[in-house]
Amino acid sequence: MKSRVLLLAAASVAAAALLVSASGCSAGSGSDSGSIEFQTFASVDSKLMSTIEEVTARFEEENPDIDLKLVASSNNYEADIKVRLASGNIPDIFGTHGWSLQRYSEFLEPLQDEPWAKNFNPVLDSAMKNDTGEFFAFPVDTDVAGIIYNGDVLDAAGVDPAEITTWEAFEKAADAVKANGITPISVSGKAGGPSGNIADWLAAGAYDESQLAELEAGTFVDEPYSEVLTKIADWREAEYFNPDYSSATSDDMTRALSDGQAAFEFSQNSRVNDALQYNPDANIGFMPVPSMTTDAPYLIGGEMNAYGISKTSKHLEDAKTFIAFLAEPENATALAEAAGNLPGMTNATADLGPLQESFDTYVGSGEYPLMPYFDRVYLPNGMWNTMVTTADSVITGQSDVDQAVGQMASDFKSLAAQDK
Amino acid sequence: MATLIAPTLPKRNRPKRNRPNGALKPARGIRSPLGGPGINLLYVPALLLFAVFTIYPLLNGIALSFTNWNGYSLERAGVGFDNYVRLFQDDTFRLVLVNTFIYGIGSTIIQQILGLGLALALDRRMRGLNAARAIIYLPVLVSPVVMGTMYYLLFQYNNGAFNDIVTGLGGEKVAWLANADASIAIIVAVNSLQFVGISMIIYLAGLQSIPQMYYEASTVDGASPVQQFRYISLPLLQPAFATSIVLNLIGGLKLFDVIQVLTGGGPGYATNSVSTLIGVAYFDNQSAGYASGMGVVLFLIIVVFTLALNTLLNRRRLEQQ
Repeated sequence: MKSRVLLLAAASVAAAALLVSASGCSAGSGSDSGSIEFQTFASVDSKLMSTIEEVTARFEEENPDIDLKLVASSNNYEADIKVRLASGNIPDIFGTHGWSLQRYSEFLEPLQDEPWAKNFNPVLDSAMKNDTGEFFAFPVDTDVAGIIYNGDVLDAAGVDPAEITTWEAFEKAADAVKANGITPISVSGKAGGPSGNIADWLAAGAYDESQLAELEAGTFVDEPYSEVLTKIADWREAEYFNPDYSSATSDDMTRALSDGQAAFEFSQNSRVNDALQYNPDANIGFMPVPSMTTDAPYLIGGEMNAYGISKTSKHLEDAKTFIAFLAEPENATALAEAAGNLPGMTNATADLGPLQESFDTYVGSGEYPLMPYFDRVYLPNGMWNTMVTTADSVITGQSDVDQAVGQMASDFKSLAAQDK
Repeated sequence: MATLIAPTLPKRNRPKRNRPNGALKPARGIRSPLGGPGINLLYVPALLLFAVFTIYPLLNGIALSFTNWNGYSLERAGVGFDNYVRLFQDDTFRLVLVNTFIYGIGSTIIQQILGLGLALALDRRMRGLNAARAIIYLPVLVSPVVMGTMYYLLFQYNNGAFNDIVTGLGGEKVAWLANADASIAIIVAVNSLQFVGISMIIYLAGLQSIPQMYYEASTVDGASPVQQFRYISLPLLQPAFATSIVLNLIGGLKLFDVIQVLTGGGPGYATNSVSTLIGVAYFDNQSAGYASGMGVVLFLIIVVFTLALNTLLNRRRLEQQ
């Protein structure tokens, strides 16, 4: 009797193992159905999502044999995609949110030989192309970011954003804003990202060439990062951050900027579209980021909205046809305008609305260097969260600068070893 | 779920199960599928589900903890015990381990005190008794994410109910969730209040299983209500204590949802539990192997706590018998 039960139990476990392995096999890459699954990395109520829907509807009219299933982004887009990749059930097309090269290239079809590739914006070369010139995603936009500001708030404080070229000038402006009873810097602790932006924006101008080379070689250089976090700690002491920092959501910080309750925000320009949804009359612009090591301000940039095709997709050719349609000038222009950024294609143009003046002044002039996102290029994969958490702990006073730098160094070492 | 170990007689002392005189032997055709070895087939679906959803993930998680997998890549390599060595050198993990014990033990203590108190208060005939029991139990049915969101709306800085009260009384707004200690206390309180209904129901069932004649006899002997509680209720509630404590402790040690919604583990890492840190390490830091190591350690902690508590509480119960 006992042996029979044991036999049954063993048989059950074996059957379960078979079931699991069989399910692993059936989870082939790409959609098995007739539809091409497109994970858009655009939130359901965003301007970009509605533009994608319009463009896709036209594509399906012109190509009745190809059906697309659009999926809006969840709050956990990055984790969702990682789970899909790990399970082998990869979407046919998915938004690579800045990581088409460093993180997702092993899963994506190279696109440099596509007919539209000749219009790939060379500004994105360093961020999206590997050493052999391959790139793995169609770039909707070229992410150019600086410090977003509310022009009316700065006017009221007697500050001209064009004159903020050093951190001393920035702090002087923040003091003037604060004297008017307005929060100088709006940032969300609850969103898990905006605090990391501050560190990322500052760090891009805190390291010299030799120190950056050390980082790339896998050694954390702590002194410049200590200066970055000291700056943030100083701003905390000076009460530049919004008092509701810990419970504020990203919507709260955007609303504060659009309603004139805050002066500055360290965010991507896509935030401006969100701000204008709250207050269409808001006078919003962006300015370059002052450097901690030189007198030359810079802009932050790289890949933002870009779509890669799974190299194991069962609809590879149809997916390429769709991407080629998106890359047509009319569609690429519409998508870039919806994203609120410069087009990722040289044959597209975009009316950037209220941001046009800032783009003309700071980007069109070509005077300001475009620095890559610090964490994407100089830190091992997975360090972004540590940047966010350590900046958060300094803003809240939970850690002092030395502890936070120690955490960065420790995680850098572990993750660099893991990447090898 | 933990099970209580009941004392068993040695096999040779067990009474034999004799069929009473005149009792009919079950017909062969009926016995074979349901009463004979065929009955074992009924285990198969449960065993299958258990194997697929518990055994396989557990074994897979243990195997992953010996790799450097980043959670999505096609490649991974074995790293031996490196992840476990890293765990015990990691200050953040130590901090989070302490938090986990605070959530587990703190919530358990509060839930036992409140649950027993509520059970005693509601173990009597009174108007609205069923409504009161239902209201206290109701939060158990609510998703912890919803509960966390409700409390977030109470504690948030702008437009939060508590700050509205504070400013209404002439005070300054308080950033309740900016302070790690306050946030930990809030999380323990929210978790305890949500699940106090489970303890209450367990103690209520325990109290109602105590024969009334013990109380009547003690009343005749002149025992006070406090003495009745001390010498009758408490000893006979030992099985209920064991069940309630073990269930609450496991729930507290695995706490995830409320933390995620209320503080997201912040400020910094200060309010994370091991469960939330596993999510951070797996998805954000892209260290699935390391996260799996944390999961294995959490599993072992819960096993050790559960076994120790079961042994301790059962020993006490047997001593009292």
